[in-house]
Amino acid sequence: MNDKYKLKDWQELPIGGVVPEGGNSADYETGTWRTNRPLWYEENCIQCLTCWVFCPEGAILLKDGTKPNGQPRKEIKEINLFHCKGCGLCAKECPVNIKGNKIAIELVKEEI
Amino acid sequence: MSKILAITGAGAMSQAMRQINPDVVPAFPITPSTQVVEDFSQFVADGLVDTEFITVESEHSAMSACIGASIAGGRVMTATSSAGMALMWEMLYVASSMRQPVVLTLINRAMSAPINIHADHSDSMGARDAGWIQLYSESNQEAYDNLIMAPRIAEASDVRLPIMICLDGFIISHCVQTMQMEDDDKVREFIGEFKPAYSLLDTENPVSWGALDLQDYYIEHKRAQHMAMQNAKESIKLVSEEFYQCFGRKYELFESYCLDDAERVIIAINSIAGEIKEVVDDLRNKGEKVGLLKIRSFRPFPYEEIAESLKSAKIVTVLDRSESMGAYGPLFTEIRTALFDVPDRPMVYNRMFGLGGRELFMSDIQNIFEESNRYLENGKVEKVFDYLNVRGG
Amino acid sequence: MRKFFEVRWHGRGGQGTVTGAKSLSEAVQGTGKYVAAFPEYGPERRGAPLRAFNRFADEMIRIHTPVQNPDVVIVVDPTLIGSPDLLEGITPDTIFIVNTEKSAENTKQSLSINSQKLYTVPANKISFQLFNKEIPNSALMGTFAKACGNIISIDKLLEESEQIFAKNLGSELVDRNLEAIKKGYESGEEI
Repeated sequence: MNDKYKLKDWQELPIGGVVPEGGNSADYETGTWRTNRPLWYEENCIQCLTCWVFCPEGAILLKDGTKPNGQPRKEIKEINLFHCKGCGLCAKECPVNIKGNKIAIELVKEEI
Repeated sequence: MSKILAITGAGAMSQAMRQINPDVVPAFPITPSTQVVEDFSQFVADGLVDTEFITVESEHSAMSACIGASIAGGRVMTATSSAGMALMWEMLYVASSMRQPVVLTLINRAMSAPINIHADHSDSMGARDAGWIQLYSESNQEAYDNLIMAPRIAEASDVRLPIMICLDGFIISHCVQTMQMEDDDKVREFIGEFKPAYSLLDTENPVSWGALDLQDYYIEHKRAQHMAMQNAKESIKLVSEEFYQCFGRKYELFESYCLDDAERVIIAINSIAGEIKEVVDDLRNKGEKVGLLKIRSFRPFPYEEIAESLKSAKIVTVLDRSESMGAYGPLFTEIRTALFDVPDRPMVYNRMFGLGGRELFMSDIQNIFEESNRYLENGKVEKVFDYLNVRGG
Repeated sequence: MRKFFEVRWHGRGGQGTVTGAKSLSEAVQGTGKYVAAFPEYGPERRGAPLRAFNRFADEMIRIHTPVQNPDVVIVVDPTLIGSPDLLEGITPDTIFIVNTEKSAENTKQSLSINSQKLYTVPANKISFQLFNKEIPNSALMGTFAKACGNIISIDKLLEESEQIFAKNLGSELVDRNLEAIKKGYESGEEI
């Protein structure tokens, strides 16, 4: 947990319960809610980005890449496990998985 | 130019609103506060103010719209009475807890049932714990003056709480009385610009309002709100002093009328103080040491200051115009609390009067002073609580 | 010398009694006195008897209770004559101003008053001539100026009323109301 989210004394609080900044949900670790972890197999992935569209947490991170014909495109970089809650939507919607020959993304039990 | 004029209490409130020129007024009419917003809507139609006037579908919506507009950074006012404020109930707490300095004219009227449109304080006393600053007014002049001061008191940076200015329905709201109305420009100069702490429309600095607040933070927010209400006491004093410098009428947290050496004191709120002053004058002329303490600020409640003012008092009669069924009147419980730490504290007792607009005549007030004299001579209060002017005793 | 000069109006809902009391206070305000005017609001029903009050004084008026011992009783509706309410709290010095076409002598008898001064004025008739309906309050204000010149003179009443009426009425109606005041002043009959 970020130090700025240490619980404050009443004198330090912004007036009226205001949250005086935007975009701070990125600092909140929802990865601890996860009981299933996604595994991404780059070799089987067709870079269609369907998982990126469906991910409710924005946990699929992208990078710049190129198509086989040399044109620029966005590609999957990694899955951000700080935010991923393990809902499994990515694996459920993945067209490679649906086709059934290969697995591009799958959920496995989190184990300590 | 300031001018002396004859105007109803409700009319005086709408004139004060015109002079303040708030950004937004969402309102829903209810007797006896209707004339306030009715007159004001005419000012809007005539182009005398720049206000966005919103005719909402209920008082709940009126207060909700007030809160929204205030969060957006506007100076916001409205008016209501009785059942109207009861319908605002949920939003009263939201306004104070979100620390929005909304200004409400509350024309005191009895709560139903039986249905009644006349003055008592059951509406505002019921809302005493809602986190609003409450100022009470004896006359048209005081109500007008209180409303001119209200935005400044509420908007002080260490306060930021909503404020309700209370005055008695019909007795004051519908009574034409002589009063001094100040110059428009001078009032606007006194009021100044509202500078919100945060504005929802400030897209450069986005903020979130109304976030969930559970066991980890809610109580800290309440503690901060409690402090703000404590600070309001100083804000009331400062703004009242500045008002006195500007306009020459002096107001404090409460009014001390012939209190200095008074042995028998009546404590009361709102218009009945006028009749009590007349009786005090009469009895003083006969050499009797009687006095009046009239509450102006009920929230925050000035416990220490009142205790200090009652040092010479031997017996205190507290008049309540609001029932708290199964308990003493709300003013009495505060006064008795204030007096508890006073060495040689005076005897104190409670009388309930005027519910639903029942008159209390000057002869009735004379009777109160006679009764307190009897108690004083006997050294004993026979009845701590009783009703005045009720058939059947 | 009494501290307050107090007026009690007796009318019926819808006759302009409350407006009459308020206008009178606004006009007397113009003389530099402190004023108060307030009605006794009950259930607001057209035709039901109602009362309204004025107080005038040389200092700030702090009391709000209904007038108990009136200096002046104004009877706005002739059908109220005979009601014992009119006589409540009156003194030998109370002045009566009554809207009626009957003679002063006759009215005095119907009111069952003795020593009190009485002014009668056919205010309904005056109103009907000017407005084609019965709104007797302006004419009664005129009679008040005749009976109580020490409170407000007829000239001052006309001057102040012109401004008061102009706030809500067009110039033609202002003129007719001023005419009603004049007629009320002129036709008030004293006994």
